[in-house]
Amino acid sequence: MSGGKKMKKLSVWFLMLVASLVLFACSGDDQSEETDAGNNNQGDAEETNEGDIDLEGTEISILLGKPEIAGQFETAVDEFSDETGIDVTIIPLAGANAFEKMSSLYSSGNAPTISMMAAEFETFQDRLLDLSNEPWMENVQPGMTDFVEVDGKVYGQPLTVEAFGFIYNKDVIEAATGEEFDPSTINSHDSLEALMIALDEYEGADAIHVSPMDWSLGAHLTNPLFAAQAEDRDERHQFMQDMIDGNASLAENDVFLGWMKTIDIMKEYNQNAASPLAPQYDDGPSAIANGEVGLWFMGNWAYPQLKEIDPEGEYGFIPVPISNNPEDYGNSQISVGVPSYWVIDESQSSTEEQEAAKEFLNWLVSTERGQHHYVNEFSLIPVFDNFEIEPQDPISQSVLDYMKDLNTLEWMNLYYPADGFPAMGAGLQQYLVDIWGKEELINDFESYWESVE
Amino acid sequence: MYNEKKTIDKLKVFLTFGLIPVFVFSVVVLLPILTGIGMTFTTWTGFSGSLLEFVGIENYKEAFVDTRFWGSLGTTLRYVFYTLIFTNTIAFGLALLVTSGMKGQNFFRMGFFTPNLIGGIILGFIWQFIFSRVMIYFGDFLNIDILSSSWLAGPDTSFWALVIVSVWQNSGYMMLIYIAGLMGINKSLLEAADLDGASTWRQMWNIKVPLMIPSFTISLFLTLQRSFLVFDVNLSLTNGGPFRSTELIAMHIYNEAFLYQNYGSGQAKAFILFIIVAIIAVTQVGIMKKLEVES
Repeated sequence: MSGGKKMKKLSVWFLMLVASLVLFACSGDDQSEETDAGNNNQGDAEETNEGDIDLEGTEISILLGKPEIAGQFETAVDEFSDETGIDVTIIPLAGANAFEKMSSLYSSGNAPTISMMAAEFETFQDRLLDLSNEPWMENVQPGMTDFVEVDGKVYGQPLTVEAFGFIYNKDVIEAATGEEFDPSTINSHDSLEALMIALDEYEGADAIHVSPMDWSLGAHLTNPLFAAQAEDRDERHQFMQDMIDGNASLAENDVFLGWMKTIDIMKEYNQNAASPLAPQYDDGPSAIANGEVGLWFMGNWAYPQLKEIDPEGEYGFIPVPISNNPEDYGNSQISVGVPSYWVIDESQSSTEEQEAAKEFLNWLVSTERGQHHYVNEFSLIPVFDNFEIEPQDPISQSVLDYMKDLNTLEWMNLYYPADGFPAMGAGLQQYLVDIWGKEELINDFESYWESVE
Repeated sequence: MYNEKKTIDKLKVFLTFGLIPVFVFSVVVLLPILTGIGMTFTTWTGFSGSLLEFVGIENYKEAFVDTRFWGSLGTTLRYVFYTLIFTNTIAFGLALLVTSGMKGQNFFRMGFFTPNLIGGIILGFIWQFIFSRVMIYFGDFLNIDILSSSWLAGPDTSFWALVIVSVWQNSGYMMLIYIAGLMGINKSLLEAADLDGASTWRQMWNIKVPLMIPSFTISLFLTLQRSFLVFDVNLSLTNGGPFRSTELIAMHIYNEAFLYQNYGSGQAKAFILFIIVAIIAVTQVGIMKKLEVES
C-alpha cells in the first residue's frame, strides 16, 4: 500500500517536472526565433543598400479572403509567375475568418507576404509596409484609401468597391407603373413610398423583399444612418464619437428619424410582412430575379446569382432616402466602399519578398493582363482611373454611374466595433417583428454605442 | 516488478510505462488548460506580440456583468434540461421497443442510430431546409397555422427547433447504450419475476430500471456534456438567431473571443463554463453512483 502512495507522489513530482521542462522548452524556442528574425532584418537592410534586387525565384504568399474567386485568382497568379519568375503561394481562408487566420499565421511566424484585410487593419497596422509611393497611388480614386491611411501614409491597396442600396428590377417596376423608370426620381420618402404603393397594387409582384440577416440589417442598412449625418467626413465621424460618448440623442436626430421612416416603409410593404425573419439569403435573389418583387435591399455581390436566374434582367440601385427633401445629402447617394484591402507584411518578410509583393499588386491593376483578370475574371469593379476595361453588367454599371457623379456615401460600417453589426442587427430584427417599438430601438442603439470603449 | 525496493528502480518502472503518456497528456491537455487560465488574467488578444499586461480579475468582472452571457447561459440550461429529458426518455423507449422481439428490430436499431452518423453541420442545414421550406409547404397545404410560418423566425420556435434536432440526433446513440444495459440484465431474474406473476410494468420498475442505473449514468452524463457544449447544430441551424436569442453558451463564447475580439473575457467565460459543467457533471455522476444496486 505504502509503495502505491509513494508511487503516486512520485508521479506527481514527475508530472510537474515534465510540465516545467516543456514550458522551458517553449520559451526557449520563442527567444531563438526572435533573434533569428532580428538577424534577418539586419541582413535585409544591407541588401537594400546594394540597390537593385533580382526578384526571379522569390517566393511570396497571398492570403486570399475571397473564396468565390479562388479558381480565377489562381489562373491570374500563374500567369504572373510565368511573366516575372516570382513564385506565388495562395493561402485560402479555409473557413476561418480573416482575423483568426491572420492571428495564427502571424503568431507562428508564417505571416503571408500579401494579405487581404478589412477591419483587421487596425490590429495589424504596425506590421505593414508603407505603400504611399506605389505607382498605382496616382490612379486610385479619391477617398478610397482613407481607411488605411495613418499619419499620411497609405498601407493598403483597395481591392475593389462594393455598393449596396435598394436593387430594383426594371421590368417589374415598369410593368407596375406603366412608364419608363428613371432611378434618379426616387430621392425622397414620398417618391419611394409612391413606388412601393404602385408595386403593391400591381397584381404581378410584391413591393420589396427584406433579407433579415443581421449583417444585412446591422452592417448595411444602418450605414446611411451614420454616413448621411453630414457631407463633411469629420463631422459624421464626430457623430459616431458622440454616440460613443453618449452625447447624441437619436430621438432628436433628424437623419435617424428620417431613416426610421424609410425602415417603416420597408416594413409596411415587405413581401414577408407576416413573418419578416423567415426568409433566408437565397430567397432574396430568387424573389427579385424571378420578378416576384420590384425592390430588394442588398449589394452588387448578389449579381452572379441574379444572372444565373435571369441573365437578361435589368437591375440597378436606388438610394435609401433619409428625408423627404430630395436635396438632402444621402437621398441621391448609395453606399459605396472598399470591402477589403491588399496589404504587404513588413515585420516578417524579407526585402525581396516585399518588392515582389509590390510588383504583384502593380501588375494586377496597371498591366493589360492584370486588368483583364481583375475585371473579366474576378468580376471586380475597379477603383482606379487607368482601367481600359469596364465591367458590363447592369449592376456594376449602376455603381459606376453613382461613382462618376460622386454620389457615394462612405462605408461608416468599417468603423463599427466588431460586435456592432450583430448588436444593431438584432435590434432591427426585433423592430421588424414588432417585439420592439421605436423607443426600445433608440434605447438599444444608444446603450450599445455607449458601451463601446 | 511491483516490489522494487529502491526509489531509483521505482522511477525506472514508472518511466518505462508512464513517460510517453504523461508527456503527451501534459502537452496536449494540461498545458493548454493552464495557459488558457493564465490568459484570462491578461490583456492578450490572440497573437504573439500583442500587449501582454496583467489585469487581475478584470476579465472575470467583465464576464460577470455581461447580461448577454447570463442570458445565453440561461437559454443553455433550459436547452440542456429539455434535451436531457427528451433524449433519454425517447432513447429508453426506443431501446425497449427494439429489444422486445418485434419484427425487423435490427433494421430499426440501425435506422434510429443513423442520425447520429450525420455530422452536426450537415444535419443543421438539412433541418433548416425542413423547417423553412418543407414544413411550410405542408402547413400551407393542410392549413395548420403553427406549421405555416418558419419556426426559425421566432425566438421560442427556433429554441424548440434546436431541441428537436438535438433530440433526434442523440436519441439513437443513447438508445444503443440502453440496449447494452437491457441485454446485460440476467435473464433468470426476469424469468423468476415472470413465474412470480410480476406484470411487465412491475418488472420494468423493480428489475430493469434499478439494474440499468449504470447505463443511465453514462447516458445522462453524455447528454449533459453534449448539450452544454453543442456548437455545430447551433451554428448551422439558427446561427444564434433570430436576434441572438438562440445563441447557446459555446457559441456565445466563440463569438465573443473570435468574432468580437474580446479574447480575455471570452476565455474567462469559457473557464466559468468549464467550472459549471464540471460541478454539474460530478454531482450527477456522484448521485447516480449511490443509486446503483447489485442483482
